[in-house]
Amino acid sequence: MTLLNRRSRGAGENAPQAPPPDTESIVTGRKAGNRKPTSLRQGWVAHIFLLPWMIGMIVVTAGPLIASAILAFTDYDLLSAPEFIGFDNFTRMMEDDRYWASVGVTLTYVVVSVPLQLIFALFLAMILDKGIRGLAIYRSGFYLPSLLGGSVAIAILWQQLFGDSGLVNEGLGLIGIEADSWLQNPDTALWTLIILNVWTFGSPMVIFLAGLRQIPEELYEAAEVDGAGKVRRFFSITIPLLTPIIFLNLILQMIGAFQAFTPAHVVSGGTGGPLDSTLFYTLYIYQEGFVNFDMGYAAAMAWVLLLVIALATALNFIASRRWVHYGDE
Amino acid sequence: MSKSTLQDVSRRNFLTYAGVGAITVGAFALAGCSIGGGSGGTGTTTVRFAWWGGADRQKAYLAGLDSFGQQNENITVEPEFGDYNAFQERMTTQMAARDVPEVFWIPSPAVLTYRDASIYRDLEGIETLDLSAFSAAEIDSFRLDGVLDTLPKSMFSPVLRYNSTFMEEDGVTLPEDLTWEALSEFLIDYTKDNANGRKGTTYGPYHDMPFESFVRQHGEDLWTKDGKLGASVDTVAEWIDWWETLRKAGATTTVSEQDGIEASWSLTGNKVLATFANSNHIVDEALAFPDYTFDQRDIPAFADAAAGYHFVYYSRFAMYARAEDDRVDAAGELMSFNLNSLELLKLVGLSAGAPPNTSLLDEYEPEATEVEKKVIAITREIAATERRDRFEAPAGSGNWRTMFVRELEAVTLGDRSVSDAASNFVDAVTAEIETA
Amino acid sequence: MAILDRDVQATAAAGKPLEPAPRRRRAGTGRGRRITRHAFLVLFALLMLYPLIWMIVSSFKPSNLILTQTGLFPSEVTLENYTGGWDSLGTPFTTFLINSGVVAVGSIVGNLFSCALTAYALARLNFRASKLYFGLTLLTMMLPFHVLVIPQYILFAEMGWVNTYAPLLIPKFLATDAVFIFLMVQFIRTLPRELDHAAMLDGAGPFRIFWSIILPLMQPALITTTIFTFIWTWNDYFGPLLYLTKTKLYTVPVALKSLVDSETQSGIGIMFAMSLVSLIPILLFFLFAQKYIIKGIATTGIK
Repeated sequence: MTLLNRRSRGAGENAPQAPPPDTESIVTGRKAGNRKPTSLRQGWVAHIFLLPWMIGMIVVTAGPLIASAILAFTDYDLLSAPEFIGFDNFTRMMEDDRYWASVGVTLTYVVVSVPLQLIFALFLAMILDKGIRGLAIYRSGFYLPSLLGGSVAIAILWQQLFGDSGLVNEGLGLIGIEADSWLQNPDTALWTLIILNVWTFGSPMVIFLAGLRQIPEELYEAAEVDGAGKVRRFFSITIPLLTPIIFLNLILQMIGAFQAFTPAHVVSGGTGGPLDSTLFYTLYIYQEGFVNFDMGYAAAMAWVLLLVIALATALNFIASRRWVHYGDE
Repeated sequence: MSKSTLQDVSRRNFLTYAGVGAITVGAFALAGCSIGGGSGGTGTTTVRFAWWGGADRQKAYLAGLDSFGQQNENITVEPEFGDYNAFQERMTTQMAARDVPEVFWIPSPAVLTYRDASIYRDLEGIETLDLSAFSAAEIDSFRLDGVLDTLPKSMFSPVLRYNSTFMEEDGVTLPEDLTWEALSEFLIDYTKDNANGRKGTTYGPYHDMPFESFVRQHGEDLWTKDGKLGASVDTVAEWIDWWETLRKAGATTTVSEQDGIEASWSLTGNKVLATFANSNHIVDEALAFPDYTFDQRDIPAFADAAAGYHFVYYSRFAMYARAEDDRVDAAGELMSFNLNSLELLKLVGLSAGAPPNTSLLDEYEPEATEVEKKVIAITREIAATERRDRFEAPAGSGNWRTMFVRELEAVTLGDRSVSDAASNFVDAVTAEIETA
Repeated sequence: MAILDRDVQATAAAGKPLEPAPRRRRAGTGRGRRITRHAFLVLFALLMLYPLIWMIVSSFKPSNLILTQTGLFPSEVTLENYTGGWDSLGTPFTTFLINSGVVAVGSIVGNLFSCALTAYALARLNFRASKLYFGLTLLTMMLPFHVLVIPQYILFAEMGWVNTYAPLLIPKFLATDAVFIFLMVQFIRTLPRELDHAAMLDGAGPFRIFWSIILPLMQPALITTTIFTFIWTWNDYFGPLLYLTKTKLYTVPVALKSLVDSETQSGIGIMFAMSLVSLIPILLFFLFAQKYIIKGIATTGIK
């Protein structure tokens, strides 16, 4: 064990100067070459480790996944048997104005709110990572919004903040600006939901905090001895070592934003209004599937979304080769 | 050295927690299962009953079901409730899985959708179902396309509700002869003249019941017998126009003030003189503003309104088509209780509407609150009118309100003319019904 | 809840020897800077927490005033939302809290167990299909759950699992929460490979390496998983709504949503009050769990 400790420390010191990772190892964490002899044995072992996952995959996940893929090619009203209709659901999407409205809303939301939320979360994680008195209380305080984020109470809270006579407008009134409800204006409604997302920055913050904790203290000390300033230490130690975690958060939040449902469902009461300006993609899926009993169309839309997210994730993985540095290379 | 022991300790702790957790959970999960499977006691029949509402209603119905259980010791009722949306989400899933409660309420837009999915059981010939309180003509009016597969659990009609306290303070009275034109003028004048900055009404073209009445006054049906949208583009446009005139004259709260096309009562109840509503809404909504007195009356009508335009909306409930035979009698018993029990009515009150069973209403009247008496009065008044047939919303029309809201949003934001909105709406609803 | 107590004691005991080791270098240079930082944090926290404060104040107002008299200073104060709310569904709210606790703890155990195994295999073991499996895992995160809900419900209803906790718990033991697999894989990958090699040279097999090296070192990821699983299952609404139809089995969010009528907004005061009550266990859990993050790191020896 003492050996292990020494080793890990050594490895940590080397990490920031690690050479750029080779592409093969990125996705699986496997180093190419010279492991062949063990791989056969490891194949068996791996499947023992993977047993619960495989059962889950086959029994719980795969069935519904395949079912939904098949339903995408049918007309299915949930009540009578599905009817095969080929690609009709997909061609219908092409001509569906509301569908494209929902695509626009969702893309805006992903592109704007994810980076904002991550920067915000990293910034606060950095502040809170410092030894500060009352740390636990601040951290819990900052996490509270995330606990409330999906609650029914949010609809009322947001009305209190952004409604016609909400807190924001009262504040603006003090400096002589009169404004209408931010929730009922199609130009601003989506922004109130982006604020809601940034406000619930607790989850990425906790992940960042855990990641920051993984960074060996000795590196900072060594850098300080070498005369590196704060900014320098942040960019040459914190950021490089945190890249796998930043990447993780980016992927998680991106997928989450593509699938955002609760905020719009709660705040607009499920309509996606005003004028479809908060009609998130998944909200439209929900409306078609659960309100309109058109589960075939909903499934088709869901699979298009899956392909888009998969593509975006794959692009991120490819791009990550340039900027994410793993400790296991 | 010390580090390595600590490492072991913490790992062992971690595993201990995991182990203890697993055992505890296992125990609870088993407990959960046994609660779940435990209702099959000897000689009792279990009936699942699903409805929707808020805390007050849930509590009232649970109390009612308790006393039902005492009267029928061989029947166990399993309640399944939630708020309106949750109820529908669960119901949809259960229908897809063919796992529907034996007795359930039906959300108004879904009456024919559920019918087309054949989940209603024919109620004819169930011995325990006591319909003796209803005349043959009444029972006929409950039928859908000649089949008695649903029953009304409550009923209501559109009304014009007004704040009598404001009327008195501002010294105004509603026009004697309440036509749409007269009401419009009155509301505009009131907004202009009252000293307290109050508005005439909320922006309310979204209200489906007065809209339906407006359509019927034109001699059209909102939904036709053969399952189509019966309202013409012109009528829809005229309806929106009536509201736009008020809105442009400043006689309504703005969409921003009332938080959306669908006005929020708590935001507007102390700002407006009158609102359109359903006859039962006054029970819950008057509670929000205890300082004011509210009253209600029949809604406006054109001088030349088509005969029989009045209507009563039946909120329905039904029995599941696949209810097992041995549960049908028990389910019939439960439905009878809902239709005929004064005890239940005393618990739940009139917040969800008046009981269709008129003798029950008479018995209840002495117990009714002041506000509920206003519900009873208008219910009787409309029951006495001549009423031509009314048909339910066809399958596929389930989200017509959402479509209407979108058009109204476009109109109020100045993006669309009234006539375009009306024809868009009619086209969209027609298309949805056709694809269903 | 007994589990929590045990944990607290254990933490206190194990934490002792490490207490005097402050993690970061002697922070800051001046008192002034420290005060500014606190001022900033307090101000910021207040801004973040305004909605919550509003909710707390509202929960003490009579129901009819909550939406009509929205200021922070109520003209009338009442406890009726708390006293009346506790029993408003015919079942004491304590039952819902316990149910939620059971589901949350069960999910945590399930996720820790199954996702750690899976993540280790995917991140560290060499086998042909690992890329494929990892891809599949990610894929399952990407399909919106609304189209999966109904087939899954049909499956679990067929198995007779409606009105048991099985549909909520068993999938967790089968590594169906792909998010956590991904999270753990990313964390494992920040650990140097040399650790494995050294152990392998000492003759340790994959199980020993997982058990004695990876698992202890990935504690931050395990704690993160614990926190998120707890909070997500505590807040999860749709699953419990569909699978638990008996009031006695309700979890907190299902109970909360049954309190408010979406049409009339009646019951809002009770909902606020009970929402706040149900936040308390999460807060306690969070306060406790994050203490563990700090300690967890200190004991891993990676620093």
